[in-house]
Amino acid sequence: MQLSVLTDNLPYLLWGAYPDGPLGGAALTVLLSVGSALASALLGLVLGIALSLARGWPQLLLTMVLGFFRAIPVLMLIFWTYFLLPIVFHIDVPGVLSVMCALALIGGAYLAHSVHAGISGIKAGQWDAGLSLGMPRVAVLRHIVLPQALQMMLPSFVNQWVTLIKDSSLAYIVGVGELSFVAAQVNSRVMIYPAEIFMFIGLIYFVLCSGLGLFADRVAAYFQASTT
Amino acid sequence: MTEFQTILGQMLAPKYLGWLLDGLWMTLLLSAVVAVFSTLLGIVIAAARSSRQPWLVLPARGFLSIFRNTPLLVQLFFWYFGVSGLLPESSVEWLNTVHSVVLGPYLKLTWPSFELLCAIFGLSLYSAAYVSEEIRAGMRGVAEAQRLAAAALGLNRWQGLRYVILPQAVRIALPPLLGQYMNIVKNTSLTMAIGLAELSYTSRQVEAQTFKTFQAFGVATLFYIAAIALIETLGQLIQRRQRLAGAAQR
Repeated sequence: MQLSVLTDNLPYLLWGAYPDGPLGGAALTVLLSVGSALASALLGLVLGIALSLARGWPQLLLTMVLGFFRAIPVLMLIFWTYFLLPIVFHIDVPGVLSVMCALALIGGAYLAHSVHAGISGIKAGQWDAGLSLGMPRVAVLRHIVLPQALQMMLPSFVNQWVTLIKDSSLAYIVGVGELSFVAAQVNSRVMIYPAEIFMFIGLIYFVLCSGLGLFADRVAAYFQASTT
Repeated sequence: MTEFQTILGQMLAPKYLGWLLDGLWMTLLLSAVVAVFSTLLGIVIAAARSSRQPWLVLPARGFLSIFRNTPLLVQLFFWYFGVSGLLPESSVEWLNTVHSVVLGPYLKLTWPSFELLCAIFGLSLYSAAYVSEEIRAGMRGVAEAQRLAAAALGLNRWQGLRYVILPQAVRIALPPLLGQYMNIVKNTSLTMAIGLAELSYTSRQVEAQTFKTFQAFGVATLFYIAAIALIETLGQLIQRRQRLAGAAQR
C-alpha cells in the first residue's frame, strides 16, 4: 500500500481545482447527485400522478415514453442530452447540466412507476371516503392518498437516489470533472498505484451510498413506529 | 427545423452500420456470459446468506454491501487498472497475449482480450450482488412446509436446498431475474470506459468518424431497445409455458 499518492492529491480528489478553477471531485459528485435527486423526485411525482390519473391513449403514450427511458442505458441518454440539449435550446449547455438532465429523466421514469404503484396500493375505500366528503379528485389525492402513499414509497425513492449517486460517475464519459473523472485523471498522471486510487474513491462512494441507505432505514423505522 | 433536417439528412454508410452491428454482437455476447456467471455466483451468495453459519453469512453480507454501494464504473477501473498492477508481471503478460486453440479446420477458440476478461469479471461480480437478492427473495417465497417436507424425506439441509427449495425459488424469482438481465445488458455500456468495443463504444466511434450524431446514437438506441424487448418477449414465453405446464399437472 502506498498512500502518499492519496495524500498528495487529496484536495484535488475532494474538490477539484476549486477555488482557482471549476468545482470538481467528490464535491461535484455530491452536487450532481443532490441536483438530480431533487429533479428526479419532482419528475417522478408528477409523472407518477399523471400515470395514475390518465386513461386511454394519454396513459398508453406516457407508459411508452417511460418504457423508453427505462430500456436504454444511462450512458446512451447522457450522449443524447449532451448532444441534443444545445440544439433544442440554442445555448451552450454545460456538461454538468446535461448529465443532471439525463440522470433526472432516468430516475424520474423509474420513480414514476413506484409512485404509481404506491397510489394504486392505497385502498379504494380511501378514495370513496374522500369523494363522499364532497372533495374533488385532486383534493382527495393531495390530502388523503398521497400522504399515505409517499410514506410507503420512501424506500424506493432512497434506492433510486443511491443509484443516482452511483450513476453520477458516468459523467466521466463526457468529461465532467466529478470524482471518477478526477480519479482517472490522477491515475493517468502518476501512472502507479492505480489500486490505491480507485479503492479510495470507491470508499468515498461507499460512504455516500451506504450513509444514505442507513439514513433511510432510520426514517423508515421512525414512520413505522409512528403509524403502529 | 432546418437543423433537424440536416441532422436527419442521410443514412449511415453500410460500413458504419457494420461497426454498430459488431458492437451489438459484443454487447449481446458479454451480456449472455455475464448473465450465466452472475446467476451461478448469485445462487452461491444467496445460499450463503440464508445459511446458519455466521462465517458464511457475514462475508456474503459484506460482499453485497461493497458491490452494491460503489459505482460499477469505479469497480471496472479497479479491476482494469488496479488489479493488473497488483498481479505479478508475468501473469499480466500472459493475460494480455492472444492464445488460441485450433479445434479442427473450422473451429478456433481464442482467449478473450484483457478488456473483455475484465468486463466479464467485473460485471459478473457486480450483477451477482443484485441477482442473489432476487434469488433470496424467491427462496423466501417457497413455503416453509417445503423445507420441512424435504427434511422429513431425510434430505439434509444442502440437499433440500439443491433439490427442493432452489428449483422452486428460481421459478418464483424469474420475472425480477429477467429485470436484472435487462440491467446487465444496459450495464455492459460502461465497459466502453475500459476500451471494450461494445455498442456504446462503436456508436461513439461512428459519431466521431461521420459527424452523424443523430444516426449513430439513434441506431445504437434502437439496438438496445430491441435487445431489452427480446428479453421481455422471452420472459413472456417462458411464463406462458410454465402456466400451461402447471395447468396440465392439475
